[in-house]
Amino acid sequence: MSHRVAILGVGMTKIEGAKKDQKLDDMVFEASSKALADASVTREGIDSVVISGCDELDGRCISSMLLAMPAGAYLKDEIKVTDEGCYGVILAAMRLMTGLFDLSLVISWCKTSEAPVSDVMRMRWDPFYHRGFGMNHITSTALMAGVYKSQYGIPMDIPARVVVKNRKNGARNPNAHLQRPIKLSEVRSSPVVSWPLRALDCAPESDGACALVLASARKARELKRDPVWLAGFGWATDSYYLGGRDLSKLRSLGIAAGMAYGMARIKNPLKEIDIAEISDFSSYHELMVYEGLGFCRPGRAQDLIKEGLTDMEGVLPVNPSGGLLSSNPFTASGLFRVCEAYLQVKGNAENHQVQGVKRALAHGSSGFCAQGNAVFILSR
Amino acid sequence: MNEIDAVVYSMGPSEFLGVNEPDKWCVDAVGGRDKPFMRIHTGGATGLSAAQAGFHHVAAGLFDAVLVVGADKVRECKDSQQVLNTIWDPLYERQFGLTTITMAAFQAVRHMHLYGTKEEQMALVAVRSWGNALNNPVAHLKGHITVDDVMMSPYYCWPVKKYDMCPSSAGGAAIVIVSGKKAMKLSTRPAWIRGCGEVANTVFLGDQMGGRAQMDFADSDVLAMAATAAYRQAGIRNPVKEIQVAELYAPFTVCELSMVEALGFCRKGESGRLNEEGFFNMNGEIAVNPSGGTLCANAIAITALARVCDGALQVMGKAPPKMQVKNVRNAVCTGEGGSFQFHAVMVLSADYY
Amino acid sequence: MNDGMTLRGGWNVEYNYAVGTTGKKFFDALIEKKIIAPKCSKCGLVMLPPRSFCERCFVPAEEWVEVGREGTIQAFTIVPVKFESLPEPPYAIAYVLLDGADTALVNFIRKVDLSDLGAAAKKLSIGKRVRVVFEKRRKGTINDFHYELIETGQARRQRSKK
Repeated sequence: MSHRVAILGVGMTKIEGAKKDQKLDDMVFEASSKALADASVTREGIDSVVISGCDELDGRCISSMLLAMPAGAYLKDEIKVTDEGCYGVILAAMRLMTGLFDLSLVISWCKTSEAPVSDVMRMRWDPFYHRGFGMNHITSTALMAGVYKSQYGIPMDIPARVVVKNRKNGARNPNAHLQRPIKLSEVRSSPVVSWPLRALDCAPESDGACALVLASARKARELKRDPVWLAGFGWATDSYYLGGRDLSKLRSLGIAAGMAYGMARIKNPLKEIDIAEISDFSSYHELMVYEGLGFCRPGRAQDLIKEGLTDMEGVLPVNPSGGLLSSNPFTASGLFRVCEAYLQVKGNAENHQVQGVKRALAHGSSGFCAQGNAVFILSR
Repeated sequence: MNEIDAVVYSMGPSEFLGVNEPDKWCVDAVGGRDKPFMRIHTGGATGLSAAQAGFHHVAAGLFDAVLVVGADKVRECKDSQQVLNTIWDPLYERQFGLTTITMAAFQAVRHMHLYGTKEEQMALVAVRSWGNALNNPVAHLKGHITVDDVMMSPYYCWPVKKYDMCPSSAGGAAIVIVSGKKAMKLSTRPAWIRGCGEVANTVFLGDQMGGRAQMDFADSDVLAMAATAAYRQAGIRNPVKEIQVAELYAPFTVCELSMVEALGFCRKGESGRLNEEGFFNMNGEIAVNPSGGTLCANAIAITALARVCDGALQVMGKAPPKMQVKNVRNAVCTGEGGSFQFHAVMVLSADYY
Repeated sequence: MNDGMTLRGGWNVEYNYAVGTTGKKFFDALIEKKIIAPKCSKCGLVMLPPRSFCERCFVPAEEWVEVGREGTIQAFTIVPVKFESLPEPPYAIAYVLLDGADTALVNFIRKVDLSDLGAAAKKLSIGKRVRVVFEKRRKGTINDFHYELIETGQARRQRSKK
């Protein structure tokens, strides 16, 4: 990258099932205040605010109206991108790279407890050809899991072990929504919600907000900071029409990863990346993400799990925070991944810190069957 | 499409269409598949914000050619104001039947109170816009109307009348933004993006009136801040002398009066009189909305993008014959969203610098 | 052409908006016939509707003050037409700066004859004084009160009393 982008700090609320004590704007103010404090900058210094959210989950038809102010945007340059929070990092980074801006706050949130998530997802389908078939985020993820499972003959224990791994990690993360470790047998005996997904194969629904402070290299130098660098990022989308897609692979993730790796000069991700925080909407989805990110060949993600390579002690720990299977503030989940990756590189992840992290990957995803994907490389 | 590196989708509130996150639905229709793709949504300002985001894609040095595109069908919902009531806070505001029309009424009564602006002066904005739209083949509403026609039209929210308001429209718009190098190869007369600005204000109207308000809801001071940033980048010192065309997102007549003041075309409170004197006519000092503007077509998601399209056509000399203003060097385009709280400005120029 | 064929569909998505600690405190006070507002600890701005922080200073607003039951109209409109799912017309709404508050709060203005729009608009002009009238049965929502005009003579009498 010609103009480098630095991350100076992050702020996260505790992720919970229902944050009843906070109105939506209260929660967003908490996250932005924490990020500014973590970065040791004040609102006055911010010259670009990039916010990201999903109106329909917020129950407001232009939700940035309310939330621009708790994001610190009063009389500031402000823009909103939808819907996955991590797209805010992309837009903010590009704005900094133009040289027109120096210090940016990126923020996202989601209060799934206020919205009928399934109904909102159903309304994402077009009314003509898809909406009538009861498809939501769970059933479409299951559709993809089913294709993947039958294509590669994935034994049932493999996805269950993904759940056990992530929930074990989540138990060490005081910020996580679900903090109880679970056993393989519990996953196996949990009810099927949409074949082949069982209840514990699926991410919960959570409330939370998070924010980052990004700076131009010039500004980071001026502030004499020891930042984490955004070494690369990439994003891409796939078709809306599932019938025209190969649901056994995440095509747009491969394209996004290629762009990010190119920018960060990564050739062998499994070796060169120290930890990954990925958006695992289901246990099967995590396996597919390994393949999309090029950690292994198609169909071989099961080997990584069998050999424990993505455990906390493995060569590439995936989701030390517990991932989405532990906490899922839906459209903010990808931005939480970037925050968690930052903590790991900075060495601030406390109980779920992996030792010696120099380079971390973060991944966000949105749309049915992970239509859109974004990948970030953070480094020292 | 092979030459397009990335796509920015311009889409405001999705509730008019009745499909959530319709950008995902439309990926295939805009050639976004396998490409970097994002949706920008800043309410009414969406189209201009999307154009700015497209500019940032290119100016960051990441891409050579970016498509900014969107479409909307506001009339597919039963009553757009039912949807627009949900832009307001459910705890403190929605209960009072607030809409975007009541919002315009609040601005109008304050403009009338502070500056003595008359309903007839607002009406004249509609008359000029409808007349200009006669020259624009893609405008939704157009015609020869009179101040009396506007004054006789029914009140929707006093003092806002039917002809003071924009329609609910369906339509699409797109622009292609390329790097300077690529532009030189493709065109002898492109429109150069010379300045951008976008500023957010508080959502609360009540913070902008009386008491310790830092700016008045009658004025578009936030637009003035965004314009100042854009003018500075573009090197514009005297907007009246240097800008020939303004394409403004003014969904109600009062908005336009407030906006031309904020853009530095005249002092606060003067716009009504200058408008009567023809200052903003096609052959006036600055042609405001030669296209007819938002009062004549409002497919919300792309209305502000259409402002950029129309501004670019003027600068490139490619506007429809009677709509084209002579000798355009600079055009200013705006977008406005939320509770008149998000203002975005783009300056387009025939000159590289 | 396709004869303009359309497909009918609906949108019945219901939400449970969390009121939050700040909102709860405000609504509880309404039940007690009080309008209270958070005050910025830095710039002293008294804010309505209530919020948990000051947008300008970006610090939490934890102090509360009670504001007056009278105020001044800052902006108003009268709606004579019916919109889908919105209140039955005609109705008048106004932003009122309550005495002691620094930002204006919207609510209905009741008991104004709205049969003649022009005449009603003159009555409701900016600067006119209104009072807060609480409903008999209060549920802890913003509809627990509305505004009514204070007739000029009345206002003068009340002010001289003070």
